[in-house]
Parts: sequence; C-alpha cells; structure tokens
Amino acid sequence: MKHIPIICTLLFGVAVLLFFGLAYPHHLHYQEQYQLFLFDSTYVWEIVKQPGGVADLLGRFCTQFYLFAWVGALIIALLLTAVQMLTFLALRQAQGPFAEGFYGLSFVPSFLLWFFLLDEHALLGGVWAVLITLLVLWPIIKMTKGWIRCTLLVVAILILYVLVGPVCFPIPVDSLWTGAHYYRYPRVFPWLLWAVALSIWVLVGIAFLIRRFPKHVSHLSPLASHLLTALVAVAMGTLVWKNSNFKAEKVMQYDFMATHQQWNRIIEAINKEKPNNQIGVTVQNLALAMHGVLLDQMFNYNQNGIAGLLPDVKEDATSPIPTAEAFYQLGMINVAQRTVFEAQEAILDFQKSGRCYKRLAQTNLINGQYEVARKYLSALQKTLFYRGWANETILLLGDEKAIAQHPEYGRLRQMAYQEEFYFSDHVTPEMLQSLYFSNTDNRLAYQYLVAYYLLTGDREGFNQFMSIKNEKDSI
Amino acid sequence: MDKKTMKRHISPYTLLLAAAVLLLSSCASHPDVPSSSKEAKCLPAIYPDYCDVTVPCNIAPLNFMLPADEYEACVARVTTPDGKQQIYGQGVKVQMPEQEWHDMLEASKGKSLKVEVWGKKDGEWLSFTPFEIRIAEEPIDDYLSYRLIEPSYVAWTFMEIAQRNLTTFEETQIFNNEITMNDRKIGQCINCHSYQNYKTDNMLFHVRLANSGTVIVNDGKVSRVNLKRDYTISSGVYPSWHPTAKLIAFSTDLTRQGFHTLNPNKIEVYDLASDLILYDVETDSVQVVSNDSTLLEVYPTWSPDGKYLYYCKSVPLPEEMHDKDIRTTYPKIQYNLYRRSFDVATHNFGDEELVYDAASQDKSATLPRISPDGHYLLFAQGQYGCFHIRHNDGDIVCMSLDQELPLTQAIDLTKANSEGRPDSYPSWSSNGHWIMVASRRDDGNFCRVYFSYFKNGKVEKAFMLPQEDPELNTFLLKSYNRPEFMVEPVKISVTEFSKVFDK
Repeated sequence: MKHIPIICTLLFGVAVLLFFGLAYPHHLHYQEQYQLFLFDSTYVWEIVKQPGGVADLLGRFCTQFYLFAWVGALIIALLLTAVQMLTFLALRQAQGPFAEGFYGLSFVPSFLLWFFLLDEHALLGGVWAVLITLLVLWPIIKMTKGWIRCTLLVVAILILYVLVGPVCFPIPVDSLWTGAHYYRYPRVFPWLLWAVALSIWVLVGIAFLIRRFPKHVSHLSPLASHLLTALVAVAMGTLVWKNSNFKAEKVMQYDFMATHQQWNRIIEAINKEKPNNQIGVTVQNLALAMHGVLLDQMFNYNQNGIAGLLPDVKEDATSPIPTAEAFYQLGMINVAQRTVFEAQEAILDFQKSGRCYKRLAQTNLINGQYEVARKYLSALQKTLFYRGWANETILLLGDEKAIAQHPEYGRLRQMAYQEEFYFSDHVTPEMLQSLYFSNTDNRLAYQYLVAYYLLTGDREGFNQFMSIKNEKDSI
Repeated sequence: MDKKTMKRHISPYTLLLAAAVLLLSSCASHPDVPSSSKEAKCLPAIYPDYCDVTVPCNIAPLNFMLPADEYEACVARVTTPDGKQQIYGQGVKVQMPEQEWHDMLEASKGKSLKVEVWGKKDGEWLSFTPFEIRIAEEPIDDYLSYRLIEPSYVAWTFMEIAQRNLTTFEETQIFNNEITMNDRKIGQCINCHSYQNYKTDNMLFHVRLANSGTVIVNDGKVSRVNLKRDYTISSGVYPSWHPTAKLIAFSTDLTRQGFHTLNPNKIEVYDLASDLILYDVETDSVQVVSNDSTLLEVYPTWSPDGKYLYYCKSVPLPEEMHDKDIRTTYPKIQYNLYRRSFDVATHNFGDEELVYDAASQDKSATLPRISPDGHYLLFAQGQYGCFHIRHNDGDIVCMSLDQELPLTQAIDLTKANSEGRPDSYPSWSSNGHWIMVASRRDDGNFCRVYFSYFKNGKVEKAFMLPQEDPELNTFLLKSYNRPEFMVEPVKISVTEFSKVFDK
C-alpha cells in the first residue's frame, strides 16, 4: 500500500509519455519547426535578459528535441512528473504527516499543465517556470519557519520573477503574463498556466490550513485517499482527452510527412482517411503527383479547387509551408523561397524556424546565391540537430559539379524556369506552362498544369496548352 | 562553510582569476608578430575590406578578420606616422580596443596608418602586402540610424529602428514594432525615420497597420498624427523635413510588389499611383504639391537652403502601353529628377524644372539628395523603376549642381559603387565629406552600410560600417534599411515613444 503513490506517479508519467508519443507526436514536430535554438551567446543572452528568460531558454532548449517525438514526449513526461512530485513534497511540508491522504491533489497542477500543452501554441517555458518555482519554494518551506520563511519567500519570488516570470506569483495582471514568453501569441493571457500556478499556491495554502484542523478532519482514510486520487485522475484525464485536438494532429501529420517527403506514407494515410482540409489536400495532391498519378487519381479524393493544389500564400506560419514544398518539388525555386520566407516571418513570437532556414539555404544554393545560402547554413551550424546537414551542405557551395550531380538539387536546377516570369500572389496556369516548357521532362509541372485546368474547368486554356504542346512536340 | 573559510578561499581565488583574465586579455590583444613567415605577395583577403580606404578621424575601430575556413590565425601590426606600433589578433579576428584605436587616429589625422597582416594557413604563417588606411581630417557625423529588418517580401517579423554611435560600437533602439503592436495577426510596420537637419529634436517615423500613425517629434515633444486626408491617395510615405521651417514634404504612394521567377532581382516594388504633399507640423494641415494622376511623383528632398524641392517624376509611357497591366509596363517606368522653387513665407511652389533627364538615357533616377553646401546632387540610378535597392544594376550617381540644367556631367563614383549588386539610398554627412549608401554588394541579399570619402568632387573607396565583431556582418540575417546620418542621438526612449499610442 505504501508504494501506491509512487506507482500512481509512474503511471501518470507513462500516460503522458504514451499520449505525446503515440497520440500527439506531430504537435511536438509542429512546435519544433517554429523555433531555432542556437548554441550562440548572443541568442542565449537575448532570451535570458527578458523576465522569465531562464524558463524560456530551458523550454526552447528542450523543444529542439521535439524533432524526435518520443524524446519530446519523454521530456514532457519527466517535467510533469517532477512538477507532481514537487507539489506533493510542498504539500507534505505544509500539511505534515497526513499529506499522504491528499496525494491525489498533487496531480492537479501537472494535469493542468498537460491540458495547457495540448495547445500547439503553448510553450514549454511555462512548464519550466512552474518547475523552477517549485524547486526554489519547496526547500524554503522545508527548511525555514516564521518570519525567515516569509522574508525568504519574498526574496525568492522577486528573483524568480526575473528567472521564470509571473508564474512564481500568480497575480492575474494582463501585462505581466502577456509580456512573458509562455505562449506563442504574445497578447494572449495564458489562463491555464495561470491556473496551474494558482492551484499550487491554493493547494499549499489549504494544506497549511488543514494542518490546524483536528486529526479526524485532516487525516483521510486510505480508501478515501485512493478514491480522491482516482477521482482526480478520471476527471482531469477526461478533461485532457476531451480537449485534445486530434483534428489538428492529423493536419500536422500531413505537414510532417510532406517535410520528410514520405510520399508512400502519405498515400497510405489518404487511403485510410481522405483529407478534407487545405493542408491535407495540398499534401495529398503533391504525393499523388510525386507518384505520377495525380491526373489519374485526383478525383478519387477530396479536392478543393486551386486552394487544394497550389493555394495562395496566406499570412500565417502554417498553411504556406506545405504549399512551399509543392513549389519546391515543382522547381519553382523563387516562389518556394518566397513562400517559406513569408511563413517564417509570420511566426507570431518572432522566432526563426530550423525547417525554414534549411529550405532557404537550399533554394539559395539551387539559385547559385551561395553567399546567402552560407549565411543560413552558418546559423544552422550552431544548432544541435541541423548541424550535420549544414556541414555537409556547406561543402556544396560553389561546387557546380557536385550540385549538378546531387539527386535533389541537380534535378531541381534542371527543372527550374528558363525564362523570366513575373508573378504576384496567385499561381496562374501561365506560370505552370512556362515551367513545363522550360523542361518538358518536368512531369510534376505537367500534372499540376493539367490538374489546374481540370479543377478550374478551363477547357479553352487546356486546349490552347495542348495545341502549343503538340506544336512543340512535332518540332 | 563559515565566513572565515569562505574569505580564505575567495580572496586568493579572486586574485588568481583577475590575474588570469588580465594576462589572457593582454595576450589576446597584443600578440607577437610571427618570427618567420612566407611572403604572400598580395593584399590580405580581409573582411570587411579595409585595404587602402580613407576613413574619418573619429570612426570606430576598423576590426576585421581573415576567412575562418581558410586561415587558423591572423595577426595585424598597425603603425602610426610617428612610428608607434600596436599588434592585434585573436584567432582569425583583429579587434582593436576603442581607446587605442582613437589614439592612433588622432596621431594619424591627415596621414595614414600602415597595416601589416599575417595569416596562418596549414600551420604556416603568410605575410601579406601591407596596406594603408588614410585618416581624413574631416570627421563623420557621430550617429547613424537605420531600420533593421529581414530582406522581406510581404510579411515581416520583428523590426527595429536603431541608432549607432559611429565613433564607438554602441547601438541602441529608437523604436521597435513589438511594444505598441496591439494585434500581432495584423502586424505592425515601422519605417521612414527622418530628421530635420541631422538633428533629432524634430524627427518622425511611421507606424503602419496595427496602432498606426506617424510619430512626429516637434521640438522634443512627441505626438502621433494621421496624415491621410480625403483628398490624398494615402497618408504620407517618403518624407523630407524642410531645413528651417516646420514643414515636411511627403510622397503619397499606392505601393505594390511583384516577384520574379528567374530574375535575381527577385522582388519588384512599384507604385500604382504617387503624389507629393506638404505637411505643416504646427497647423496639422496638408497641402497638395503635385498630383498628376497620369504620372508618378515620389522621393521629395529639400535643397539645404530650403528654396527648392527636388523630387522624382515618371515619364509618360508610350501610348501603346497605356492600357497594359503594370506587370507588363513595370520595366518601362522610368523617373527623371525635377525641382520646384519654394517660398517658405507663402508656401508657394514655382514652376517645375527638369534637373536630370534619366529617361533619355534609358535610365531611371530616384532618391535625390543635395550636398550640405548645395553644390552636388546624389541619386540612385537603375534601368527602370523606383526601388533600386532591389535592382542589381542600381548604382549611385553624383553630379555637380554648378552646371546648367538639366544636368549631364556625372562625377566618377566607381570607387563607391559595387559591380552588379544593388547600391541605393545615398546620403551626405552633415559636413558633406562622407557619402553613405545602402548596398547589397556583399551577397546580393542583405543590405549593409558603406561610406566613401568625398572631397572636391573626388570619391575614395567605400568601406563598410565597422562592427565590434567583424563576423557580425556575416551572421546578421537582417538588412540595414534607410541609413540616415544624425549629429546627435535620439534622446526619447522607446517607452516614451510608445506612450503616444496610449492616447
């Protein structure tokens, strides 16, 4: 019986691990792609000098591991478990020997943090802020008493504010919370994180109060204690599950598969469940085209007109990226570059993206803009997980022969535009036509162009294209 | 650990640490020159290129480096005309302490510093051909302000208007687009910082989109105004303060962008319409200067005496192109330079005079700036359009105004311009001896600031704005946009500026 609390903690940790590893892995990939953690003193200082900077830095440091979803899930599981254990230690310190009975309540802040992290814009820095606060406050509660404790608490909170931000003392002042980097939308008040911080203070406060009550009130029977733990687990577990955004997870999965050019996996996924959102349809069409079956099979799946083929670039960080992948694979290198750049600029917390930097380096390399590519590659050399790729790629700069022989860059150079074409926000059939006639081996361009006519019902345009094509073929 | 024990440990430790730091720093700053080396018989490929440049007598240290992927170490010996020498070098970088550098400048005013550079490559030291840095007697303005922004297309992220002390490396923020952005989805753009007569008590910058307005400082007092009127096509865009009166000439523009699939220029910025207005700061009134709906007027600038307003105006398109889409006509849009006399008492403008006929040479001239003595005109020139900072053929042109209008004779600016990369946004220092340009010459994408010495119609080789860490120019993924000289810093803080958005 005495091991039940530890077993509960372990079960909780495993549940978090499995949830993020199995049910929510692409949320972690999504998070990773909207930051670029640099091992660079200027970068570190720029973060640390802000209120809450230390928590933010630790959050960003851990987020880079989200590139590998299971590692990210493990990190989250460890952090949430640590928060639960420290909450319990704080409760025990406050309440005394009878705290074990209220063990279940120590899960509340961790469950709330789990709930907080369901949102793809919630940042891990918030979790670190809670954890560091507990790490500092618990020993103060443990080792001190009376006015020394009060004084130390005040001093600790002041220091903690610098290190972790307003989580350390949850006053709901909008400007304090929106100024800290707990959430990707800087003007959004992170209510859930505030609730986490508040719950810890409230629980510890109640624990102090209960201590003064007679034993029959402050001491829960083992059965009542287990029931309380079960109640917290079921209620909060349900809350977490019900609020999980599996629809977004699906969209992020398509984006992830497109990033890693997992065309077979995409086909498997769309055959299981036909995507019905813009990103899913864009990725579906790209995968079909990469397999050379877009024109044969596109109407077996949901279509969304041009918006599902090559949608206009919108001013957000998410939707342009799969479109940019299509532009890139087509050989529309300048368009891909612009689209990726716009996506990165739209990241709301002004962070950079490893994925975008990588693509910007690639597009500049293909365009022969080696010095610009070098700048992006130099930045990527300061990262943990993009360094190897950057080191390999930097050797290609200026080496025309190696680039020509490269399976991806060589092919894309051959597929690129041969004639100048001026474009604005909308992709037009003329752009695809020009691309196709630049290199008639570009089957992707051919499929996209004909798909464009099919989706718009532009029979006249199609006939014109075919007559030009036939004319050129006959020469 | 008790206090005494702590003290016992701390004191020797601190002393040791301090001594080690001192020793290390002295070694790092002043190494020995290599005892033996092989002669390379060429100038060193230092970055930035400061070989044989002429620099102001008050400029910050010209720190430089050898390429890190080719060299293991770099040592430089600087010799002043009186024979004093200092040796620098740490890794591949040469970074000189500010005080020592300024002492050397002071000792070399009107003369030259001799710089000898050694580079270690594959374990062997190479000695390069020494070069000179000529120290002009004329100083450069103490401050420079610019917008730091990614070389963007349409969207943008964090941007700031910063000011840099040119005699040191101190950079501070004038304003940023984060502090007053009340809706990040809409975004906020800050731009077009501008000063009256290089001073900062009368200045302005624009804030677009979220929480928009033009922030005007009038004798040190900050206000936010809306320059849009029913009779103007937009609010004020490109500004120019009248040198003596509280008047600002603006262009009003309907600006659009397009993109190239192949052309390395990548982006085309053009105006669908543009006019000129005059804004009276004291009365908050807007007067239309010119609004020919068939032509585009842009980039106003005052002569230093305030008696002329110079500006650019497009030439009419051939008739057969009148009904064509801008995507077809944009390479045919060319601007000439004009001026109109101005009576500051009545605010009346005289007739238009053609200053420079660029179109007759199949060119387009933009961004005119008159030298403080009124004798020279700088402008940017490319084959077409109004945004040469995105045109690889964009170059700076200088012409003497002491010739008959329209001007024809240009001064040779080969040493100030780059080959095949955009050079634009020229300006004069307040003493007229330093030309500043924004240039993408380094890599074709990221703008950097370059200065050239100018005296009696002669221009010296351009040099890049020095940085404390010379590698910053390699790693900084931002462009220096709209560099403007100032003789004093902006004294209003970011927070003070932001307060006008609370009203």
